[in-house]
Amino acid sequence: MKQRSAAQFSSTSAASPTIPTALRNDPAQTNPDRWVDEHGDCLFRYALVRVRRREVAEDLVQETLLAAIRSREKFAGRSSERSWLTGILKHKISDHFRKLGRETSFTDLESLADEFSEKFVPEGYWVHVKGPKEWKPESDEVVYRAEFWQTMRHCLDKLPERIANVFMLREMDEVESKEICSMLSISESNLWVMLHRARMALRECLEINWFNREK
Amino acid sequence: MIASNVEDSNPRPPDDTSAIRPNGWFRKMLVWIISRATPKCRDVVRILSQQMDHELPVMMRLKLRLHFLACCWCERYMKQLQYMRETARCFPEHAEEASGPALSPEARSRLKHVLSNQ
Repeated sequence: MKQRSAAQFSSTSAASPTIPTALRNDPAQTNPDRWVDEHGDCLFRYALVRVRRREVAEDLVQETLLAAIRSREKFAGRSSERSWLTGILKHKISDHFRKLGRETSFTDLESLADEFSEKFVPEGYWVHVKGPKEWKPESDEVVYRAEFWQTMRHCLDKLPERIANVFMLREMDEVESKEICSMLSISESNLWVMLHRARMALRECLEINWFNREK
Repeated sequence: MIASNVEDSNPRPPDDTSAIRPNGWFRKMLVWIISRATPKCRDVVRILSQQMDHELPVMMRLKLRLHFLACCWCERYMKQLQYMRETARCFPEHAEEASGPALSPEARSRLKHVLSNQ
């Protein structure tokens, strides 16, 4: 798997410089085939993390690219092609969950066993050795490398699906909390509980598997 | 943050950065007062998560500041929540690097086929 992704990096980075920027932003050159080759895996992997089902993720990528074709005249190259396409995908994901929210009730609160009660003494203060550790700040370049994103994906996959979903709607798709509540028909306090659990669990997972890992 | 009665079972870490550490009777008393005047850490982390989604009342923000004076863990927790927000925003554009299953060759050619018919 590692070798394969390394090969993909080198193929995209080798292919990119051959197309001059001016041509890339020319509608005649925004060839949808190239979108599939250059951004297909990125869009698909993000969609898969979000919906956890291959067929649904593939459908979302297709809807995204179709919408991109329809609106490509509007894409003026202000942002990178990648962030333009992921922006469209984020909207498609919100639409997906909005439809889903209407069809299924969202009332059962999937719990994360407990709210990390072992981290606090009965009086409510941190058990110090289990409190948040200092995250050694690594330079941005080091943090934003593939291993970090792999760790994040692994941690997100471990969260219960609904809790992960509200967290990603809020922090990745950047949907306002009121909007999420109406999308999923849940109360604001319900949303806060879920977000709190997601943040607590994700923080813990990143700390163990990235910031305090054995290097 | 600690109440002095739980201090012994939970020693402060060597990298404690609290402004007020409970060494000496006066500081111990300050920490005790702060621990009585502000929410418990268990509640602070819940409130900090809420703060990411809506603005807190001024009094609560003051209480948090006071709490941080004696509790490096909760302050750290807050910074880490903010850090997670900043990095999570960048995840979608880096999803390719996060590995995991890729588009299957069939899905890839199906996509190209659908797109070419547009």
